[in-house]
Amino acid sequence: MIPDEWRPSEETTDRLFGLASKGVLLTIAIWALFPIYWMVFNSFRTRFEIVGGDPSFTETSLHYQNYIDMWSRVDLLGYFVNSLVIASTTTVIALFIACLGGYAFSRYRFPGRQYVGASLIGTQLIPGILILLPMFMLFRTIHDTVGIQLIHTYQGIIFVYTTFSVPFAIWMLRGFFDTIPPSLEEAARVDGCTRFQALFRVVLPLAAPGIAATGMFVFLVAFNEVLFASVMARGDVTPLSIGIQQFMERDQNHWGEMMAASTVATLPILLIFVAFQKPIVKGLTEGGVKQ
Amino acid sequence: MVRASLRLRERVTSGDLGRYLPLYSRLDEKYRYAYKLLFPALAMMFVVHFVPVVWGVTISFMGVDANYIGDWTSAPFVGLEHYAFVMDPATTIGSRYWYSISRTALWSFGVLVGTYVLGLTAALILNQGFRGSFVVRTLLLLPWIAPAIVTLNVWRMMFLSDSGIINHALMSVGIIDEPVFWLLGDQALWSMTIAHVWIQFPWVMIMLYAGLQSIPQQLYEAASIDGAGRWGKFRYVTLPQLKPVSGVVILLMLLWTMINFTTPYVMFGGSPPSSVEVTMVYIYNFSFRAFAFGRGAAMSVGLFVVSMVIATIYYRRFIRSDLEADTQ
Repeated sequence: MIPDEWRPSEETTDRLFGLASKGVLLTIAIWALFPIYWMVFNSFRTRFEIVGGDPSFTETSLHYQNYIDMWSRVDLLGYFVNSLVIASTTTVIALFIACLGGYAFSRYRFPGRQYVGASLIGTQLIPGILILLPMFMLFRTIHDTVGIQLIHTYQGIIFVYTTFSVPFAIWMLRGFFDTIPPSLEEAARVDGCTRFQALFRVVLPLAAPGIAATGMFVFLVAFNEVLFASVMARGDVTPLSIGIQQFMERDQNHWGEMMAASTVATLPILLIFVAFQKPIVKGLTEGGVKQ
Repeated sequence: MVRASLRLRERVTSGDLGRYLPLYSRLDEKYRYAYKLLFPALAMMFVVHFVPVVWGVTISFMGVDANYIGDWTSAPFVGLEHYAFVMDPATTIGSRYWYSISRTALWSFGVLVGTYVLGLTAALILNQGFRGSFVVRTLLLLPWIAPAIVTLNVWRMMFLSDSGIINHALMSVGIIDEPVFWLLGDQALWSMTIAHVWIQFPWVMIMLYAGLQSIPQQLYEAASIDGAGRWGKFRYVTLPQLKPVSGVVILLMLLWTMINFTTPYVMFGGSPPSSVEVTMVYIYNFSFRAFAFGRGAAMSVGLFVVSMVIATIYYRRFIRSDLEADTQ
């Protein structure tokens, strides 16, 4: 038994606990941020410095040649533009459709609601590899019969990505719409708004953080997708997710240029995130996936 | 043709559609509105999810290979032959399939434990609400915000055996004496798990943090009065109150990892070491190199069934009750 007078006071244990937990958090933060630092750091190193493997963290020479060479080694600009076009269009369309669906799913207890809910979750467990080939065949059939080209085109891959992200976006947005009291729209409708206007003028502005968080989600899904892009978006519409691997596939690994390309690819997403960080973090924190 | 469609449009706009869709006309007007709002989403899901899934299951019963890819409908019907073949552990293909499933299970479990433990730890500390916690929270989201296609390559570079920073750091601290081949053999699965946990833990963290924020403070005060210490409050207030959020987070994390293709593909490319040849990658290589689409489809259906069984059991056990409580 420890004598009572040896026991630390409650205040002391509280302070120690607080200190220890901040230490843990600091460790996690270093772990979380190091790879991003490492990416930027290595984008300014020569191949010999990288292959040498001995990092002196105080290297002073900024080797910016990677940032020049990377554009000519692969068609980086083309891939990058493709990715931005695909991901941002997907985000806009998916958010619009998901806002309508999420609102209906949140506000109305219509017959069949639980089936809609189950099918939204159900889409999350379909392995992409199962539907990849049928979709390729379906798109070819559509091309042969109706004449709309969906393989290796923007519209095709945007259509696929939009549909991939809509179910989860509906599920997320429904959670945000649940937190907005219906009495607000009712008031707007009494004032002469149509139901549609009430949705766009009252509900959506209030759900802005949730929409921002959902939008970030959709954008990332579209920006990172590899499987469908590798089969259905080649040629002129090849996105960065496929194109960036070319730094590895050629005669040797161009790590420096790849890290420079990675840094450049991360920048716009980081800028979007920084610009919208308050609503995004607020939206994520309030959580749309509570149930 | 044009006239017929005009007439149909007239009927739709004049509300005459009820004659053709009797169920629809009996619906309350506001429910019809809900269906209209959901229509674009459901129509797209029908084309991109439902039709290809049915198609994929159909192909798995047919002998579709390179010869029939142009006209798959004329391929012979083979019944359950593909299933029997790809799931027969005695054959090379079958044994590799089962091996890939065991790898997928191990990987998903590792990612689940890693992301949940790290995410919960970070969320609990952030929830103490100190000065600057917003900044830390935002910074901790960066692994998830940065594009996975680039950060996975960064991890691959860090794991390199000769010039990677991880071996360099471990050797200079003295934990290992000689370079470890992180991207080969069994270690590759560890490397892939660590990289994937790194990418996904911010999402788990922020979801759990949202859950923590919604726990009423009175519960903690009541627990204090009952004499609960720090551990007691965590055990009897925090964990039970987090159950609904944890339920969804764990299920989604498990399913998303099981059917993830990006991480193994970007880290290890087209010919991965066998320890990281998870089912998605194996089927991809098998289908698109050997052109055995029918057999590949049978393998995919197998993976789909496994994830469906997990999801159903889990949904009944952990999520449905909360969802029902919510709708009442």
